[in-house]
Amino acid sequence: MNDIIRPSLKVQLGKIKFKNPVITCSGTFSHGEEHMVFYDIGKLGAVTTKSYSLLPMKGNPPPRICETASGVLNSIGLQNDGIDSFIYRHLPWMKGAGASIILSIFGRTTEEFKKIALRILDIKSEILAVELNLSCPNLEQGGKAFCAVPEEVKRVVDSVVSMLDIPVIVKLSPDFETIDRSAELARQSGAEAISIINTVVGMAVDIDTAKPLLGNVTGGLSGPAVKPIALARVYQLCQQDILPVIAMGGVFGYRDLLEFLIVGARAVGIGTANFVQYDIGERILNDLTAYLREKKIDDVNKIIGRLKVEKKQA
Amino acid sequence: MKLLNSEILSNQQYGPGIFKMELFSPYIVRNVMAGQFVNIRCAPNDGTDPLLRRPFSVFDIEERFNVFSVLYMVKGKGTGYMSSLRKGDTVDLAGPMGSGIDLNTGSKDILLIGGGMGIAPLNLIAKMALARGKNVFIMAGFRDSSLLRWERDLVRMEVKYRIFSEDGKWGEKGLVSEYIFEGDRFYKKHEIYVCGPVEMLKIIQEKLGRYQISATALLEEKMACGIGVCMGCVVKIRGKNGSFSYKRVCREGPAFELSEVVFE
Repeated sequence: MNDIIRPSLKVQLGKIKFKNPVITCSGTFSHGEEHMVFYDIGKLGAVTTKSYSLLPMKGNPPPRICETASGVLNSIGLQNDGIDSFIYRHLPWMKGAGASIILSIFGRTTEEFKKIALRILDIKSEILAVELNLSCPNLEQGGKAFCAVPEEVKRVVDSVVSMLDIPVIVKLSPDFETIDRSAELARQSGAEAISIINTVVGMAVDIDTAKPLLGNVTGGLSGPAVKPIALARVYQLCQQDILPVIAMGGVFGYRDLLEFLIVGARAVGIGTANFVQYDIGERILNDLTAYLREKKIDDVNKIIGRLKVEKKQA
Repeated sequence: MKLLNSEILSNQQYGPGIFKMELFSPYIVRNVMAGQFVNIRCAPNDGTDPLLRRPFSVFDIEERFNVFSVLYMVKGKGTGYMSSLRKGDTVDLAGPMGSGIDLNTGSKDILLIGGGMGIAPLNLIAKMALARGKNVFIMAGFRDSSLLRWERDLVRMEVKYRIFSEDGKWGEKGLVSEYIFEGDRFYKKHEIYVCGPVEMLKIIQEKLGRYQISATALLEEKMACGIGVCMGCVVKIRGKNGSFSYKRVCREGPAFELSEVVFE
């Protein structure tokens, strides 16, 4: 008798269907070409591309990277070749590699988001979803991040959803106490899911020169150091049950992924770990399958939201 | 480029605070090109501090024994951990990485100018160039005699060299950059590779620039991934008409035309 369980890994977030809950985070995987050397990226639930702007962007002055305790600070400044480069150069490669694609985009104004949406109208059938990176500066609000002001999140989502009939994911920063409100307004505007967390703002200083260790003074912290912050944010948002959540922040192994699923995330992104263990996506996928088999769980969805909170009286 | 576990054949002190680690890896030895590096995980097992891999130039290869080596200075947690490893231990590494330098073409005369630990990639260039029948001349400057042992390697390679040290206790007294340009004809004849501290690179860039002599600089920058995805290790490269772009040391580099590098 064959009693080996072949667990189902399929997950669904609104209209978005993933073959498994393991995806990559924007900006940590480029388009998968580099990692394809180490494993078949077509196995992943999805590959989120680096964030694209309307026109090419040079990025921030170096140094752009500073390692901290179990974490990395970065101030890359969203360097990219512009959306046309994705459409004509990288998209054909990704399709050829069999990747399920989440296209990450950002603009400096709502108008720019609209212009990018217009550019991707023709390729909408080739991508799974669009992720709006709303942690970038909004020039119409004095450079304050879009997601710092939930009404600005709504404006962007409204305009993109009205132009594109593909699922829209909204990626938010943990640096503002606006996640719930932004998620609610995003839902009203037709967004399909929320991605949290983007990096946490951080800083490091060289005590000998008294200079910041990043060219841009402050940067975004990622890696295992931020995982507890991410987990709490994901837990809090999942409790609200506003939209399905894609969780990310410091995932370095399948146990981290399981924690996010247990608090209610339906898919989990691998970010900084892609810099260190180049085959981490495949490893986590294999380890997750092995775990489900060992525990005799036939469907990964049975893990999602299983958190048991026992409120004890003081 | 591959993820590999390599066995340490030796990990010995090379100078004060400086170690040479010899690793067994037929794959690296077969595939490495001059100028390339390996990215080493510097935490035990799945430890997360230090988190990132550390890039090290391949210093030397021994093809007969399938052994390559890296030279490293103990600076922080990562290199501290490396120095604690012993013969027989295993290292998690990836490589070879970066764009390699093709020594099969180009000038028959190679000039290598190094400063401090910058000699590490130049050592492999020297070895590979000599193996291709090229003439190699090395000029290297040091703060003190910490890397004294390297001279034995140079003698073994049968390469021509001049050593400078700031305290004058090893080779000639002074800075290698001060000795450059006793005649531009000499420099024009050579294919030049430079690696060392930014201050040294700036002076050499300025001096060679006066005579429009090109040189290849091997650059170092903090890296997160080493494979080209994070865009963290960029350097500013001059383009046409006053423009510039940021290029990745790990991918387009580590070798760049010295005159095009913008040092800030």
